[in-house]
Amino acid sequence: MTEYVSSAVFVYTEDTKYLIEPLQNNSVGTRITPMAFDALMQTPKARLEGVDHVVVAGPLDVIKEILRLATDFHFSTGIIPTKEQTDLIKFYDLPKNPEDAAELALRRDGQVMDIMLCNGKIMLFKATVGQIPLLDTPSKASWIRVMADAMRKFFKFKLYTFRFSTAGKKKIHTAASGCMILQHSRGSFASKLISQDHTFSDGMISLVISAPISMIAYARLLWQALKSSAGFKKLPSSIGYIKSPQIDIAAETPIDVIIDDEDRTQTPLHCETIPQAVRINVGQSLQDEAAGVAVAAERIDIDNLPTENELLKAKRHKRIPFFSYASEERFHELFTSLREDARINGIYLVLMVLSTMLAAVGLYLNSVSVIIGAMLLAPLMAPIVSLAMGILRGDIALFRKSIGKIIVGVLIALLSSALITLLFPHKPVTDEMLARLNPTLLDLAVAIISGIAAACSKSFKEIMQSLAGVAIAVALVPPLTVAGIGIGRLDFHFFYQAFLLFSTNLVGIVIAATFTFRVLGYSAVVRSKSGLAVVLIFLALISIPLYLSYSRIVEDRVFEKNWQKERFLVNEKYLLIRKATLFRRGDKRIILMEIYAREPLNREDLNAFKAKIQANFSQKLIIRINTFYIP
Amino acid sequence: MKNFVHLSILIFFAFGLNGCDQKPVTAPSGKTIKIGLIAPLSGPDDTKGKEGLKGIQLAMQMWPYLQNGDRIELITADDQNDPALTVQSLKKLVQKNEISAIITFSTSDPVLAMAQVAFDYQTPILAAIATHPEITWQNGYISQLCFDDHFQGTTAALFIRDELLIDTVAIFSNPRNAYSSDLAATFESKFKSIGGEITDWIISAPETADLSEMLKGVRDHRPELLYLPIGAKDVLRIIREVRNLDWAPQMMGSDGLISTMLTEHKKQLSLLNGMLAIDFFSHEMGLTDFGEKVKDAYHSKYKGKQRATSTTYGALGVEGYALLLDAINRCKDPTDRECINLQIRSTKNFSGIMGNITIGLDGKAQRALCINSIQNGLSEFIVKVY
Repeated sequence: MTEYVSSAVFVYTEDTKYLIEPLQNNSVGTRITPMAFDALMQTPKARLEGVDHVVVAGPLDVIKEILRLATDFHFSTGIIPTKEQTDLIKFYDLPKNPEDAAELALRRDGQVMDIMLCNGKIMLFKATVGQIPLLDTPSKASWIRVMADAMRKFFKFKLYTFRFSTAGKKKIHTAASGCMILQHSRGSFASKLISQDHTFSDGMISLVISAPISMIAYARLLWQALKSSAGFKKLPSSIGYIKSPQIDIAAETPIDVIIDDEDRTQTPLHCETIPQAVRINVGQSLQDEAAGVAVAAERIDIDNLPTENELLKAKRHKRIPFFSYASEERFHELFTSLREDARINGIYLVLMVLSTMLAAVGLYLNSVSVIIGAMLLAPLMAPIVSLAMGILRGDIALFRKSIGKIIVGVLIALLSSALITLLFPHKPVTDEMLARLNPTLLDLAVAIISGIAAACSKSFKEIMQSLAGVAIAVALVPPLTVAGIGIGRLDFHFFYQAFLLFSTNLVGIVIAATFTFRVLGYSAVVRSKSGLAVVLIFLALISIPLYLSYSRIVEDRVFEKNWQKERFLVNEKYLLIRKATLFRRGDKRIILMEIYAREPLNREDLNAFKAKIQANFSQKLIIRINTFYIP
Repeated sequence: MKNFVHLSILIFFAFGLNGCDQKPVTAPSGKTIKIGLIAPLSGPDDTKGKEGLKGIQLAMQMWPYLQNGDRIELITADDQNDPALTVQSLKKLVQKNEISAIITFSTSDPVLAMAQVAFDYQTPILAAIATHPEITWQNGYISQLCFDDHFQGTTAALFIRDELLIDTVAIFSNPRNAYSSDLAATFESKFKSIGGEITDWIISAPETADLSEMLKGVRDHRPELLYLPIGAKDVLRIIREVRNLDWAPQMMGSDGLISTMLTEHKKQLSLLNGMLAIDFFSHEMGLTDFGEKVKDAYHSKYKGKQRATSTTYGALGVEGYALLLDAINRCKDPTDRECINLQIRSTKNFSGIMGNITIGLDGKAQRALCINSIQNGLSEFIVKVY
């Protein structure tokens, strides 16, 4: 059964004076003593001595002042909000209707709550420091509003260096765009982040720190905000969280602090909590929440915040950069693995020899499945990915080791395949070999896509198994083996074309993986541009022969396609072209034609046919004909 | 030193740019070389002459001079496609105008009539559209720019038989036209030799009585295709009657059909939809570099005006002029008719609008023909035969 206070003082202002009469005529039998706020503040001690319960209606600063007096005079407090005080209504779960609010305000069972003080000012809901994109967005806001809010701030914010210290003497030095101190978890995206960990009477202050170190990180945070409507099991990237009875915030330069969207102050900011300082009549949901309060301990969750030399970078930039960056410590496991991949060992050498031998045999057998086996066995992808990271981070040691490993692998492959070719008594040129002699820009595209996939699979353990697919797609060893076969055959054109394909794959993977690592936030804090420049130069250089090759292939395919509509009348005999395939051997162009004829062709016919082709196409065209007779 | 470097770069670029794509500009010599055009510029076949003349004028605009700087002057003579007038025009051009060579857009009959006079006056004549095979047989001075009827008729027969797999054909021809009757005869001979059957051979002339009854008879013999090496008017008459009979056999016309339709019977073009036709060109075929230049010049000339329809005759006009110019350029004396004649007949792999043209010492042109399907006035390319 609901109990009500027998008497209460009603503190009002000029705007809420109209509530005196309805309050005095309350139906619960409470005796009301009206008291103007200004009059009260002249002699608070005299007027509040012996008062057990105060009902207040007025602006937020009036309510805060009453709560401050409540900590001194230990009376319980009821609040009657005005319609405009939506934050207050939401925060204390108060009824919007004045009559219902008055009924709640006169109850006896006030909820014990903490009071937060920031630089001596009472904070009821939140205090914001600096720029806090997304954090102060209402948690129930539509995604359109979240997006609009986020985009508005996208290009504006920068990182400041902050020093946070807690009651437990922990000192945190980091960079952040801003932070938000919360009374308890209600209403905003920030409160949703810590909804499992925070109440209004645990004697703790919650501080959520926003530190998107790049636009990519910010976009990622935005994505996480949009997709997690129910709350977060762990803190999203770019977010830090500190919970302590007392928090000090200092910035390099004074930064504005806004308390409850009204009061202003500046850093340094000292916030402390007065545990269980007041009793306030709140709505049912808050009372239920309070029932499960456990004793809280200090908590510091700052893994996602920039540290050490990452801070230097944050300091240097006026605005956050587009791509993220990271110190090696942050991804220690990945970097250890990449360094391991860049080291030459016996297994690598053996695998290189085996995969090359397998590829050579597969190429001579013209067997796709054997060649795929060689692709899977090939260990070249790992040092190439390491090379990409070495270039991105300007890590000379990693760069040297990985490039050394690649060169050794290439030499082994060339040597092995050349030796196999020399040993083979019969050296046929198979279709599988020919398929690797015409690299084009499309091969570069395949390599680039594979490079992206390789970098992703290295970065995310859950897709590590996809590396096999990447290895098949980009196929490093077969073209290298064909190049080695070219050496064995002493055919420079063979070697050049196949090695161009391998180089295409190599450069494509390296540049794509470098870029992908950058997008994924693995850039060094102090980034080296020279390594990337070298790769870009290689890319430009390799693009020239590839472009020419691509144009030539397009030209050849158009040429071949056109032949399907060509007919020849040779000595009264009608010849239909079934298929025409163009091959190039250096400067020579060989056209292999399959023709249908109804009558047998003699030498004279074939010479006339050849003469017609050469007259209408090119004198240099070498013609090979397969004739199919149709009876 | 710095200025010297700048100057060197400037000179390098000046020479480099000059050497890139600039052909030496021909300095006019002040002399004029006359070439003649005999063509039906009036009368029932005037389209051929007028379109051919347009093509020659476009080519003259592109290449007005010989390599030695002599300007080319074109003297035209209207023969109305009448053999008597053709001979008269030839005599006049040779005797009065002292032309070096002649291009003619007259058809086979008038050109055949010119043979003796051309021989007498030893004047090289380039026949643009006269496809009769005997044109080049009777003397050594008339050469063909076009393929001849033997090539066309044989190819048509082989294509119909071997690619369309058609067994039975009815032929329509005009016996008073050497081109039509020779083409029909060549076709019949070849088609039969490869196992095809000619169900009917119909004489088609404007005065042919009761065409409808005649076609009913043809229909009863169930030919799969009607071969129509006849004039555009006769083709239209036959198509209308065939439609009236609610009959839909395949049909094939000969060269020049689509051009005549485009210029003379544009409103009735839709009647030809689906019909096959042999031609020198196709709207869908790729152009040679020469063809691209001509196309650009054509677009430039007709820019902003109501564009004239590009026809086979116009294209042959451009090719004929350019080929003749090429032959004259190879002679030391551009008025030396013997030399010009020899050079015309020594033309090897001359790049035309859509392919190469070679003219042998026998005066016959070796060039590809296209078999097209007519759709909404455009020639959709099916095959090209060399």
